[in-house]
Amino acid sequence: MSAPFVLALRVLLALSLYAFLGWALFTIWNELRTQGTLLAARKIPGINLNIQIGDQPLSQRYFTQSEILLGRDSHCDLPLPDDTVSVRHARLSYHHGQWWLEDLGSTNGTRLNNDKVSIPTVVINGDYVECGKASIVINLGIDTTNPPTQRIPDLGETE
Amino acid sequence: MIERNQSSLLKLAGVFLTLFAIILSLSPAVRERAWDVTYRWQHWAGLLAWVAIFTFAHVETRRHLPERDPYLLPVAAMLTGWGLLTIWRLTPEFGLRQTLWMIGTVGLLAISLRFPLNLEIVRRYKYVILTGGLILTSLTLIFGTNPAGTGPRLWLGCCSFYLQPSEPLKLLLVGYLAAYLADRLPARDRLIPLLFPTLLVTGLALLLLLVQRDLGTASIFILLYATIVYIAIGRKRVLLTSIIMLLVAGLVGYLSIDLIRLRIEAWLNPWLDPSGRSYQIVQSLLSIANGGIFGRGPGLGSPTLVPISHSDFIFTAIAEESGLVGIIALLALLALLISRGLRAALMAPDRFRRLLAAGITAYFSIQSLLIIGGNMRVLPLTGVTLPFVSYGGSSLLTSFAALLVLLMISNKADEEPAPFLSPTPYYFVSAVIGLGLVAMALGTGWWTILRSEDLLNRTDNARRAISDRYVQRGTLLDRENTPINVTQGETGNLLRIYLYNELAPVVGYTHPVFGQAGLEASLDGYLRGLQGNPASLIWWDRLLYGTPPPGLDIRLSIDLTLQAEADRLLGDHKGAIVLLNARTGEILVMASHPGFDPNQLDDQGNTLSNNEDAPLLNRATQGHYSPESALEPFSQAMFGESTSVGDNERSELYNALGFFANPQVRMPVATASRSLMNMRISPLQMALATAAISNNGIRPPARIALAVNTPQQGWVILPALDEPVEALPGPFARETALAFAGENPYWSFTSVTSEPSLTWHLAGTLPDWSGTPLALVVLLEENNRPLASGMGQGLLDTALQP
Repeated sequence: MSAPFVLALRVLLALSLYAFLGWALFTIWNELRTQGTLLAARKIPGINLNIQIGDQPLSQRYFTQSEILLGRDSHCDLPLPDDTVSVRHARLSYHHGQWWLEDLGSTNGTRLNNDKVSIPTVVINGDYVECGKASIVINLGIDTTNPPTQRIPDLGETE
Repeated sequence: MIERNQSSLLKLAGVFLTLFAIILSLSPAVRERAWDVTYRWQHWAGLLAWVAIFTFAHVETRRHLPERDPYLLPVAAMLTGWGLLTIWRLTPEFGLRQTLWMIGTVGLLAISLRFPLNLEIVRRYKYVILTGGLILTSLTLIFGTNPAGTGPRLWLGCCSFYLQPSEPLKLLLVGYLAAYLADRLPARDRLIPLLFPTLLVTGLALLLLLVQRDLGTASIFILLYATIVYIAIGRKRVLLTSIIMLLVAGLVGYLSIDLIRLRIEAWLNPWLDPSGRSYQIVQSLLSIANGGIFGRGPGLGSPTLVPISHSDFIFTAIAEESGLVGIIALLALLALLISRGLRAALMAPDRFRRLLAAGITAYFSIQSLLIIGGNMRVLPLTGVTLPFVSYGGSSLLTSFAALLVLLMISNKADEEPAPFLSPTPYYFVSAVIGLGLVAMALGTGWWTILRSEDLLNRTDNARRAISDRYVQRGTLLDRENTPINVTQGETGNLLRIYLYNELAPVVGYTHPVFGQAGLEASLDGYLRGLQGNPASLIWWDRLLYGTPPPGLDIRLSIDLTLQAEADRLLGDHKGAIVLLNARTGEILVMASHPGFDPNQLDDQGNTLSNNEDAPLLNRATQGHYSPESALEPFSQAMFGESTSVGDNERSELYNALGFFANPQVRMPVATASRSLMNMRISPLQMALATAAISNNGIRPPARIALAVNTPQQGWVILPALDEPVEALPGPFARETALAFAGENPYWSFTSVTSEPSLTWHLAGTLPDWSGTPLALVVLLEENNRPLASGMGQGLLDTALQP
């Protein structure tokens, strides 16, 4: 009989319809996943900060996160315990392939190489940042606080 | 990656459409349940054209838009192909035209990619372009035509090539609004001065559309305007104001424009006038309901019963043949198109292109939701098209032009997305559209699952008449298995033949126009195969063919030999004869004159129902007659010669005789009287009471349908619907029978009334009769005692012959 044959074709028809949708959804999901993995794998070049607050000795910090909050508050990523520094003073953030310095409406202002920072500004290697009386020198991409351990070549490897 | 996605999706769409085309070709074989039929081939031309033109478009987009969104073109191709094949299936003539339009518009899209297109042109010359569109639209006021001949004159053109300028005008409006708002934002002005020019232009367009009575497009304009301004400005106030404006406009329209009133009334309550004003929407719902969950299959439903199914109601046609399963996929395709459109908007490198992409997506969504909602009565019906799917060159052209712009915007190369003012409007709009699509899916589910059965059993569902032409209806047989009503002819042209005309008022008819009557109506479940067949068989046949299984034969209690004698005796006199088996209640003879010839219903149907002699009425069961003195045998049996009988006692007797209750029998009967006042009874009621006298006081239940021939168990008895009742004390009944007996082996009593002129003749076998006990009632609508008793005598003599 023709009808059961056509019924089988109708089932195939519905399957092909949903195959189209399924394939579209699958590839969209795949794309999402790839993008996520790519973003997760993207390395943020580290930033090395040399900090001098008043007469205190020079200290060094190394960051690999994409946002660094500077301020007097102890919860800041980089606490600057000095009265001339506002609670949340400035922010360093990495996007569009660069590190940006942004003043967060501090009382005494933020200066970059002696110029006042009013809009987010790109910082480069060797830049000199002042938050109140705290001063920071930026070193990009080098972790001088924690030099990498030397990898010892495999010696006892046997065939 | 992009190339692989686009090409594999296009291939899958091709597989789907090829399967669709194969099923469509085979569909006549399924309908007629044979291989030897005329197959449908025409639509393959459409499929070939689809393959060729979208391969071309694929190649061209690959070359010129390497970074485009890979989902846009395949989804549009899928929708277009699905629509195209559906149109071929509905009306091949329109299918051919749509194929040509598709080649033209998709070809144009692909070729235009070769030229250095720049959307900045739209931005710079926005007023010129929009004014051009407005002028083109206003030209229809003077030169407008309608390709169908009648109706709103919204088209320009000649020589079977027509364009509806209001379709591309939507796209031009989107372009204009996007350009204007992108240039002015962020706004320093207040809202009104900012929007003033756009309000002016949109108002002008609206006015033009209102003059043309193109209300569907007008409502799309308002919604489109609101959405784009809201997306640009981000204040919900804009949206709210527009919705209020739309409602006010609708109300004003309702009060002043007939067409709007008609549409809104048909929307609010379609069941009031299903054959007139709300014919379209009711037929559309029937069509959706017929689709059910799995659909009838391409070419196997009856979507052509809905007017303009190829354009405004193409969603309905798809719902009927693809079912809920197909509709959910269709809505998912639209959702995919819309989400990719919004994505292109979000990723757009500048504000103009972002607004343009969002506007185009809004155009796709609003128009789809309006027409889908209209098709299933979620929204009032607006005569707009379903983008890509519906028939219509202007619609296709606009849809593909919009798609071209989206493809270009999505082809973003390495540009960064433009920064955002606020993403909230995008989330809000996409949430509303998403909810709208979900609502449409739920609406389809409502009609296809929950309300399906009620709808399909409606008498204005022409699919019943259509399936009658394809499926054998059960035969009505007399008690000796002589056929009375049979179905003959070839599958596809089956016809009900009535072999014994004189029984017509009793057995009735089944007719595609005049419906059903008599036993054909009351036994329809068995005759149509929906009763008596196993549920699995009914389900299977519905899945395979969309029809009930073959009907079952029914054996009636009628004895055609006696019936012929009764009909001969009654002749041209108006009246009825009922002859019962007094013990079992089986109706052996039921004559009602005058009758009609049901084979001639096509020609006589209308005159018959207006005929004063009421030939369609079965006088034996539906006639209401005053019994008057005809009840004398019963009162004599119960009360003897006593003359002082109270109303209560009389009521009790009549109740026992069954005069106050409808006889329970598988045929239409008149509603019984409820009290002594003006009591009217039918000859069948009288015959059942008469049977009590010949059956020792026991009144039997009436039976007309004796057995049904089921496929699994053979003949199955259809039991009486009622129990026997002791109407008279046995000895009294016997005494009465003997008191009215003459020299014949039966008793009889005749009474006449003059106002109105009636003659009742009651007769029955005597208590000591060894054969089948019989009870007879003759009723004449004239004052003629000898005639009635002569008929009774004649019939009983024949019946009692050994």
